[in-house]
Amino acid sequence: MRLAAGVDVGSTQTKAVLMSDNGGTHIVARALVDTGANVQKAAERAFDKCCREAGVPSSEVGFVVGTGYGRYKISFGNAQMTEISCHARGAGFLCPGTRTVIDMGGQDSKAISVGPAGEVLDFVMNDKCAAGTGRFLANAAEVMGISLDEIGPLSLQATRPVKIATVCTVFVESDILSYLAQGKKAEDILGGVHMAIAKRTLSLARRVNIEPEVTMTGGVALNCGMVSALEEVLGRKMQVSPDAHFMGAVGAGLFALEKLDQSFEFGIWRGEHAVDSGH
Amino acid sequence: MAEKSEYRGSIHQRQKDLMLRWYDQLNQAAETGDPPAVSMMISGNCVELLEGFGAVPIYPEVNALQLAIRHQSLDPILAAEELGYAADNCAYVKADIGCMLKGITPTGGKLPTPTLILCNFVGCNTYLKWFEHTAKLMNAPLYVIDVPFMRADEPSRADIEYVVRQLEETVKKLESLTGRKFDYDRFAEAVDCSRRSEELWSRIKHLARSRPSPFDAYFDAITLMGPLYVYRAKPEGVEFFEAALKELEAKKQAGDGLYEKERFRLVMEGPPPYPYFRTFRDMFAKWGACAVASTYSTVGGLWEFGFRHNPAEPFESVAMHMIAQNVTNRNYLQRYEQIRRYVEEWGADGIIIHFVKSCRLFSAGQGDMRDYFTKRLGIPTLYIESDLEDPRYFSEAQIKNRIDAFFEALEHSKHAAGVKAGV
Repeated sequence: MRLAAGVDVGSTQTKAVLMSDNGGTHIVARALVDTGANVQKAAERAFDKCCREAGVPSSEVGFVVGTGYGRYKISFGNAQMTEISCHARGAGFLCPGTRTVIDMGGQDSKAISVGPAGEVLDFVMNDKCAAGTGRFLANAAEVMGISLDEIGPLSLQATRPVKIATVCTVFVESDILSYLAQGKKAEDILGGVHMAIAKRTLSLARRVNIEPEVTMTGGVALNCGMVSALEEVLGRKMQVSPDAHFMGAVGAGLFALEKLDQSFEFGIWRGEHAVDSGH
Repeated sequence: MAEKSEYRGSIHQRQKDLMLRWYDQLNQAAETGDPPAVSMMISGNCVELLEGFGAVPIYPEVNALQLAIRHQSLDPILAAEELGYAADNCAYVKADIGCMLKGITPTGGKLPTPTLILCNFVGCNTYLKWFEHTAKLMNAPLYVIDVPFMRADEPSRADIEYVVRQLEETVKKLESLTGRKFDYDRFAEAVDCSRRSEELWSRIKHLARSRPSPFDAYFDAITLMGPLYVYRAKPEGVEFFEAALKELEAKKQAGDGLYEKERFRLVMEGPPPYPYFRTFRDMFAKWGACAVASTYSTVGGLWEFGFRHNPAEPFESVAMHMIAQNVTNRNYLQRYEQIRRYVEEWGADGIIIHFVKSCRLFSAGQGDMRDYFTKRLGIPTLYIESDLEDPRYFSEAQIKNRIDAFFEALEHSKHAAGVKAGV
């Protein structure tokens, strides 16, 4: 069985997938670990866990593509690509017909316009500010003493969502505390928090052409409240894969497979074009 | 790293020598009061006028960027902030004011108290306040030339006459301040030197149309810009640009580009992040990407589309240059058109817009500019943010990520187009 891997070292979590093209391209195994302080080790742990899951020795993996902010720290990787290319590629594979990707991760949110071949036509990202990212939601959850897994479902129960004036990840805390002091219900506050992020994300996404199908990727796609709020402001349903969280790693794995196949290559490949030494 | 990523020829040494000679002159002016020194803004500068007095220009932006490129800009910026300047004030202003407060100069030599602070403000009204404060701190006389902004494609006759009258007033002012009579013949000669330097500079910029381009019209152009502002009106400037053209022409004839393979051709909008100049350049070199044109290199003058100073009408042509032929005084539609022509005529694959956080005047509207090029014209355009002087706004990982993604997308699109065409 021919195997390739994609490892996505994100700011919060590191994701690895093992992919094969025997009997059609498919995901063989996936693994998720917290990134923590040691990025290199996180990549190794995720990759090893993935191999164990699949029951194959790591030596059988023919090619590894790293993505995410920690991609240059993956010592065993053969090449690196940005998560922008990887999310577009992964979304095109798992959610056919994708023309727009909205990716919300721990520190980044981005909108990507995708061509028919899964190529990136245009992209925009949040700049110098964590508003509209997973960090904003994590801060809100922490202030309210509610776990991250619970805030999405709870937000869907909002009957009179509050207005959150700020999208600043730091100042949202004081907004929430103020609403708590006024005795507002947790679900109404969370409804407001999710809507604030959705509106912020919509204005980001409008800077690329929003064309159907719209696919949501990244860890925040696991939050049903966020998906619902985004669909409301977008005015359309989105495709959300059960592997949305792994989309960057899936895209990286697909590029790695194609590299094995020699069918397609681009980017900065180790040993071919100028290699980035990383920072 | 790509083994070749920039052009290093004899002109780099000549540039260094010329610029050091300029700082020596400034040092001499500080110690002896001779030659007279006039502080001016780079954009739309009227350095030709100074030649009529044998005066030397002081360019605060050049001093500021020299500090930034040597990673020394933060201390003076903090000194200005301690004085009360806000975090989002122009970082060039803060670096300059901070240097005055702390007695810092780019070379360690002395900078003179200007004989005149000539605020030739074009497009940037921050200069009014900057030069007012400088005049107060240095106890130097201030004269403001009010240059009308470009409201249409061409300036009106009244606009030109308005600036000519002010230039004539500046002459009278300088005559009284320096005690020297304005040498009109020398001024006309200076205008003619500028005409010749500009012709050479324009021909250099047109060399970047060839594939591969013999130089980077953003990063390497910056090396040539110092002499353009300080020396273009002098015979030394003409000689310098003759030598530069000769060297770069030879490279073009030899098919010698920046890299083993020029993979991407770009148009750059906005100044570079000087505190991370090398890091930023390497981010493009890694991809074999070469700037074939840049708007920043037209801040001091836009000559590649044909404008030249005219010795037959020296005052009028200086006024024309100040009003219409530098990028900061041109309106947005003209800026769009300039970039569009670069993309088409210089054969570029995409555009990079570098938004300068502390320069709202020049950067405001660049989001719309990105939309115009991506959505209306379908030209791949990357928008990145940092600052030209303040190191605190440069997030290396973020900028690198965007640049890498941009080139990946360009490559992927080329590949997809090839597959579709059956190549």
